[in-house]
Amino acid sequence: MTGVQISFFVLAVASVASAIGVIAFKNAVHSALSLILTLLFLALFYLQLGAMFIAIVQILIYAGAIMVLFLFVVTMLASEVDETQLADRIPWQRWVAGILGLTLVAALSYLLFTGTAIDSGAKATAANSLSHVVATQGNTEAFGLALFHGFVFPFEVTSLLIIVAVLGAMVLGRKA
Amino acid sequence: MPLSAYLIVSAIIFTVGVLGVLIRRNPLIIFMSIELMLNAVNLSFVAISSYLDSADGQMFVFLVLTVAAAEVVVGLAIIVSIFRTRRNIDVDDMNLLRG
Repeated sequence: MTGVQISFFVLAVASVASAIGVIAFKNAVHSALSLILTLLFLALFYLQLGAMFIAIVQILIYAGAIMVLFLFVVTMLASEVDETQLADRIPWQRWVAGILGLTLVAALSYLLFTGTAIDSGAKATAANSLSHVVATQGNTEAFGLALFHGFVFPFEVTSLLIIVAVLGAMVLGRKA
Repeated sequence: MPLSAYLIVSAIIFTVGVLGVLIRRNPLIIFMSIELMLNAVNLSFVAISSYLDSADGQMFVFLVLTVAAAEVVVGLAIIVSIFRTRRNIDVDDMNLLRG
């Protein structure tokens, strides 16, 4: 086994285990901490795949900003919510959910193993390939070049989306 | 590592997120499960981006990140305002479109 394989399997087991922790912990704060762990493991996956900028953004924005917001709300509301005291109105829900989940993961794995592979013809040509740009310009530069050459309009729409989200949060957070 | 290895890890994490939405009744944990699903898709985007040697997949990750941030901001604001009026955030009780 090479180092890449060993790190892949360690990361795979760790990220799936912490993802299961998110839905298994009774306490919402523990779930949030487990989710932060999952996000950090995914950032390591991105590093392994050579996407350094995305890995850093993942840690800063996701594990940092978004999860801080989550933890604020969880600690504000968690003491009031005790899921174990709620009456279980749909007792067969867990079993059906488990069967559906197993079906989903089996179907996805089956398709991934037997489905037609992604067309290698879609691979970028040597001159504008990501590895070439990364080697000549650098990782963040390659991301910026791709973003501001091919994805300018989606980028601008993104800023609109953020403004709408901020306004929505302000309107919802106002004292009614 | 082959591409399908990353895609299968992504599929497993996505399924864990689906199970969280189906099983848990605390809306905060349902939100976290949605984040799990978004991140599982991000992993497959980055894996395919590295497989195709193209930066396009990373652009989609960037857009998904933005949409996730907007979704969390608005969603948590809705949960807090529901909690303010009802003092109870069991999702099974939220079956009416009026307060």
